[in-house]
Amino acid sequence: MPRPAKVLMIDDDADCRTSVRHLLEGRGYTVIEADCGRDGLRKAVEHGPDLILLDVMMECDSEGYGVTQAIKHQDSYAALRGVPIIMMSSIQESPDELFPMSPESELIRPDRYISKPVDASVLLEAVENALAARKPRETGTA
Amino acid sequence: MTPGDPVPLAGVQAPAPGAEALQPVIVVIEDDRAMRLACLKILSRSGLQVETFETGSAGLEAVSSLKPAMAVVDLKMPGISGMEVIARLHEIDPFIVIVVITGYATIDTAVEAMRCGAFDFVPKPFSPDELRLIVNRGLEHRRLLLESQKAEMERELLKRRFITFVSHQLQTPLVAIHQYLDVLRRLENPAPEKTREWLDRCLARTEEIQAIIKDWLTLSRLEGGRLAHQRTRVDLTATIGEILRTYEVMAAAEGVVLEDRMPEEGCPVAGDKNCLSVLFDNLVVNAIKYNRPGGKVSVSAESTPDEVIISVADTGIGIPDKYRQMLFGEFFRIQDVRKTPGTGLGLAIARRVVSEMGGSISVESEVDVGSTFRVRLLAWREPAEGKDA
Repeated sequence: MPRPAKVLMIDDDADCRTSVRHLLEGRGYTVIEADCGRDGLRKAVEHGPDLILLDVMMECDSEGYGVTQAIKHQDSYAALRGVPIIMMSSIQESPDELFPMSPESELIRPDRYISKPVDASVLLEAVENALAARKPRETGTA
Repeated sequence: MTPGDPVPLAGVQAPAPGAEALQPVIVVIEDDRAMRLACLKILSRSGLQVETFETGSAGLEAVSSLKPAMAVVDLKMPGISGMEVIARLHEIDPFIVIVVITGYATIDTAVEAMRCGAFDFVPKPFSPDELRLIVNRGLEHRRLLLESQKAEMERELLKRRFITFVSHQLQTPLVAIHQYLDVLRRLENPAPEKTREWLDRCLARTEEIQAIIKDWLTLSRLEGGRLAHQRTRVDLTATIGEILRTYEVMAAAEGVVLEDRMPEEGCPVAGDKNCLSVLFDNLVVNAIKYNRPGGKVSVSAESTPDEVIISVADTGIGIPDKYRQMLFGEFFRIQDVRKTPGTGLGLAIARRVVSEMGGSISVESEVDVGSTFRVRLLAWREPAEGKDA
């Protein structure tokens, strides 16, 4: 039997983490929690998750985008580049609207957005789809 | 180069979109060659980058790439009329400043041009100084237009981000509640302890929303000036004493001692009693919440004939310097204390109250040692008795 998929959930709201963890563990996933972007990046390197669930507005305004940017563009996180990222947020705006001046908005786009509150069936389906469509990990060869 | 060709100047470059060139570009659209060259000479000498065009259509074609600050347009030209050029220029750049040259110094044509959006007009013949003066005024006008446009855009952006932020603050607890209930509903046989635990969390998050709405309402009422316009005699020794008694139990639970060092003889200030209660309530609650077990909250007063300074001192975590600026802003919360419940509006309310009362609030703080909030308020003065002017 294959090992259960590891999901890293980065969200500063403990209650949101609790309910989502319960939901995912009920489906056999292993869940790792992080309560801020910095902790999330550290745990991503440490645990090598198969999927990242990421909140947008955490401690520092739009910290979630800091995480996608680090993973997609910083060399130290190159190993995580194939890991799908699902962003969850209660703000309705996409990065283009929130940061109209930023030419990088294209570069920090996650694989998928889900708006909060997350409907349990929508989340489970998104997680399954993202895991199924996983890209092979980049190994860092030129 | 034949006369009538655009006269390119060395080093003329179109500015980047949205940015004004260091040296403003001016286009001159004028069918008369002598006049065109005169404009070029006069304005180039003033250090401006000038591009000249013989016809309206040639000028309009170049404007999109040149992004000039200003256009000097002859009203009477073959082909596209001056009036039409003005209209088309404004379609391309609503902020372009247009000065019209009019051969017939009739007020009517000039007035019509201004009505069509021209900034000013120069009647032919004109002296170099006349043209320079009008162009300089036009450039100043342009600078002000762009500045106010930029300020307006920044305000819009801030407003939008603030609205996003407020709605996020309100949604966060709702999201948590929704997700608990949604997951709970799907469980076939939820463990009673889990159900209980989650419902308790839902209740706590409901209270969080209520607290945010209550504080938000207080803040809005203060902004409308509706809560704070009363200035009566308020004895802060009594008001603060009451507040400290109210929070004795909460403080004891946190292992914090409350110390009342307000003057026994009373401490009268001019203000609104309810607002001042809200203010010191917020400061005392913060001092307890962001303290440490075994810590202390001490409230004291100093008086001068004109003002009273109340200090609320704690022995808590302190406020790092980098947050000092934002501390009294709406929904500001220091990163490390997000786990302590709070609406992020308490100090915004405090600042609002003191400013409504004609006072001020400041903070001194050292990380891991504590913070002291100082509130300056107007001392109460008995109205002069029985002396009619």
